[in-house]
Amino acid sequence: MLSKNTKLWVSLIALISLLSLASSCSKGGGDEESAGDAGGKAYTAKGNEGSISGVVSYAGAVPEAKKIDTSADAACTSKSPNLTTEDWVVKDGKLANTYVYIKDGTLADNSKIGDYSFPTPTAAATLDQNGCHYKPHVLGVMVNQPITITNSDPTTHNIHFTPKNNPDWNQSQPNGAAPLTHKLARAEVLVPVKCNQHPWMKSYVGVTKHPFFAVTAEDGSFTIKGVPPGKYTVVAWHEGGANGTEKTMQVTVPASGAVKADFSFGASALGQPSSLQMLEAIEFPMLSKH
Amino acid sequence: MAKGVHRFAVLVACATFFLIIAGANVTSHDAGLAVPDWPLSFGRLFPKMVGNVFWEHGHRMIATAVGLLTIVLAIYLQMRERRRWVKRLGWIALAGVIAQGLLGGLTVKMNLPLAVSAAHATLAQLFFLTTVSIAVFTSPRWIAATPIANDRGEGVSIRSLSVVALIVILAQLVLGATLRHSATWDQDLPTGLLLAHIGGAICVTLILGATVSIALMRYRAEKYIARPAMIAAALLFVQLGLGVAAYITRTASPFDPQPMTPMVAVTVAHVACGALVFASAIVLTLRTFRVVYAEQNNYVLAAA
Repeated sequence: MLSKNTKLWVSLIALISLLSLASSCSKGGGDEESAGDAGGKAYTAKGNEGSISGVVSYAGAVPEAKKIDTSADAACTSKSPNLTTEDWVVKDGKLANTYVYIKDGTLADNSKIGDYSFPTPTAAATLDQNGCHYKPHVLGVMVNQPITITNSDPTTHNIHFTPKNNPDWNQSQPNGAAPLTHKLARAEVLVPVKCNQHPWMKSYVGVTKHPFFAVTAEDGSFTIKGVPPGKYTVVAWHEGGANGTEKTMQVTVPASGAVKADFSFGASALGQPSSLQMLEAIEFPMLSKH
Repeated sequence: MAKGVHRFAVLVACATFFLIIAGANVTSHDAGLAVPDWPLSFGRLFPKMVGNVFWEHGHRMIATAVGLLTIVLAIYLQMRERRRWVKRLGWIALAGVIAQGLLGGLTVKMNLPLAVSAAHATLAQLFFLTTVSIAVFTSPRWIAATPIANDRGEGVSIRSLSVVALIVILAQLVLGATLRHSATWDQDLPTGLLLAHIGGAICVTLILGATVSIALMRYRAEKYIARPAMIAAALLFVQLGLGVAAYITRTASPFDPQPMTPMVAVTVAHVACGALVFASAIVLTLRTFRVVYAEQNNYVLAAA
């Protein structure tokens, strides 16, 4: 029989072994390039694709940008002494950093957009940590498209993707370190990205199976090109509050034509999904409103 | 037995309390993954303490100190303590702190999965329970204590009630830890868990309130019982207020640009006060078992 002390040590070793085993099975870590959401029959361009463009505006009193206290890291204070929040960037009533994408829809031949696959761009999208905030603040990529992450700051950041459908990913990146590359294998709108060292740093990455997405510029404008003719549900998503706000619109893209889709966000829609305010903003040629 | 052992055990319990505060700061600042590697921090023993690295690496340093103190306590008890079960408790504390360190590492390695993070926070309270218990068992008052009353025939058993209170408080601490780890400062707290935690607060108030009331009604003159009972009641009162304040500041938090000082301070104080309520209930329960005997048992004083 084992002595009590021996039993204690055996138990401890067993516990350590179990924890080590669990650790090795951790979900964090490298780029897992599973099949993900990249499947479907390949879409062949027919030359009659159209576009969706529009302007996202902000109605009402614009929430003031809040001053960020960067005193926890002198390097941040030195480089960005007047850092403010970027959740509502409004200029002349136009809203920047809104992610607009085709959620679903039907092509002219009644096939679903989700049934097709589209070539993944080989060119990487870039996410830079510069001045202790992310540039760009909102980014769109396709599934498995590489994202190059750079650190232009004289301090260490950790880049932490916190998705729901993709594996969690957290990497440290000291100043001067080589760029990191990350890919997301599953569609997800949107994946929050943060730095746990500087908790005010936030970015959002929209991941779709198709290339039909855009992020509004400073003037609130966006254009989604190369859209096959058909009827689509277009969604404009903007951060703010705990879960962000979504606006939905139905559009019909004519063959070789353009459709306009304007969205409006407002103070009353803060933090709650709502499509009511959008109704006034819909412009011709909308076939249906939602 | 030397007073030194008791004093050292109190020191370890106090250090553990400080460690709980440090851990609460890590959660409230969302600093848990500020250092992505473990056991080293960025491959070093002591990294530059900027941003949230201060909270995460600071927590690791305090945890290391508590681990070392626990090793010394276990050896100290082994050398100076005559009661075998107290010696054993020292080794259990050491096993607990090792497991807790490994769980902490696992939370980092696995990117803070809820189950592991909640287990880490729960084991912290169980380790605190162990260190506080060792401090109580090694105290001169414990060793010199004599029976004062029979628990039987006086209606509700104070011994049973205090144990129930202890279990309910522990369950409430686990709920609170799970709630805190379910959402970062910029996310809404899950409603179900929040309601469960509020329900837990009502249960703790009723059961601990009843325990304290009965203890004070029966043993008001016995400071050995009355003092921890009154401290538990006072802490419970403060804790309820802190809970309301934590809820208010935490609800506003998702709209803040970063974890703000009022939210962090109030939430950490809520966690710390919860640990103190637990500690006072532990002391009350142990002391009750020490001096309030049950008639059917062959109550024998432990050897001094």
